[in-house]
Amino acid sequence: MKQTLFNDKVALVTGSSRGLGKAIARKLARAGSDIAINYRKTGGSSQAQGEMLCEEIRGMGRRAILIQADISKKESVKKLFQEIVEEFGRLDFLILNAAKAPFKPIERLLERELRQLVETNYFGNIFCLQEALPLLEKTQGTVVFISSLGSRFYNPAYPLGSMKAAMESVIRDCAESMSDRNISVNAVCGGLVKTDSFKVLRQYWEEIQFIPDELFVDPDEIAEVVLFLCGPASRGIRGQTIIVDRGLSNRLYRSIKHHEA
Amino acid sequence: MKQNLITEQKVFDEVKKAIVETLRADENEIKPESSLIKDLGAESLDFLDINYRLEQTFGIKMARHFILEHVEEAFGEGSAVDENGQLTEKGVALLQLRFGDERAGFTKGMDMDLLPTLITVQVLTRGVMDILESLPDTCPNCGNAAWKTEDGAKITCSSCGEYAPFANGDDLIKQWLAAVQEEKKIF
Repeated sequence: MKQTLFNDKVALVTGSSRGLGKAIARKLARAGSDIAINYRKTGGSSQAQGEMLCEEIRGMGRRAILIQADISKKESVKKLFQEIVEEFGRLDFLILNAAKAPFKPIERLLERELRQLVETNYFGNIFCLQEALPLLEKTQGTVVFISSLGSRFYNPAYPLGSMKAAMESVIRDCAESMSDRNISVNAVCGGLVKTDSFKVLRQYWEEIQFIPDELFVDPDEIAEVVLFLCGPASRGIRGQTIIVDRGLSNRLYRSIKHHEA
Repeated sequence: MKQNLITEQKVFDEVKKAIVETLRADENEIKPESSLIKDLGAESLDFLDINYRLEQTFGIKMARHFILEHVEEAFGEGSAVDENGQLTEKGVALLQLRFGDERAGFTKGMDMDLLPTLITVQVLTRGVMDILESLPDTCPNCGNAAWKTEDGAKITCSSCGEYAPFANGDDLIKQWLAAVQEEKKIF
């Protein structure tokens, strides 16, 4: 097998059977890492897609396992990490990508929805961090949290943004507290990506169709920054959130081209 | 008004097409009574794709929220679903009214996560038809009553060329809920 940057490393990408998580899992596998793919819902298309990704990665000559786990449940997260230990015996990269949220203004969230929002997107990520810690200590590993522009800008019907903001703060906290064990903790904040989540966004934000194509980020562009944060070249970066949005949030200027169309 | 430009058969065919394109399902396996989740392998995200395709085809807006979400927003949390996420008696009564004889599968204590499995090809077809039925008598732009369709899917005004405006799916559910509550006083 070709010697690559991440040979013999092991990565867990939560929520990686589709979308951005899948792109990240692929990218890490191509760089030589073995992959634990995680999905939540049994028997649906996520599981089917996860199985296909697993095969694809094995085809690259890497080890891959598919693990069902609902990160909002502590017990489920414990099992997830037990399986990783049994299969790989180590963990180098924890990529916190999984997310699940209702789409409506926060003022209209039912108590149940609010609890689920926090349980998956806040508790769930912290459960993963805590369970991964003993493994990451041994490998002086890396944590990368996947955030979104909703953490700092208004998006219609996007309560998930508030959780992304909280997690960016968690990342700052962990980066400091875990630095004595040489665990690197950072986040990548993606802009508009045409993955499955775009389908949801499109329902609540019709004008999104007027945003020019060049401002949509390719999942691979985000995955490559994740790869960078997992590699030695980023060793000086701690507790940061790197925005990968093709300059969308950098622009106050808006093209009016679409009005002419 | 009772629109008669787009047939239920056409809607059914388009629903089928949207399902085939989204799920890469075998067209011959798609029956009116097929559950999208149980029989055709759909997930919640797939519904967005299917809905989007139907919206583009007919120029409509499908409901973003399931009926029980509207119930809980209108009549309070716990009215249709209890704290364990299970259907209440009132929730059952309402769903039976909504889905009639098509689905007798509603029972008290049923987990609400199971409800999406009850969405069938027929339920989707009916959803689209309900929206199409909200076609106003006359064109709000020019005031003429001259709706037409060329492709059997998008309705335009033959007088001014505007696309027909329809009520959106969520508003129709809210209207239906208000009418049912007025009559039956379930909640």
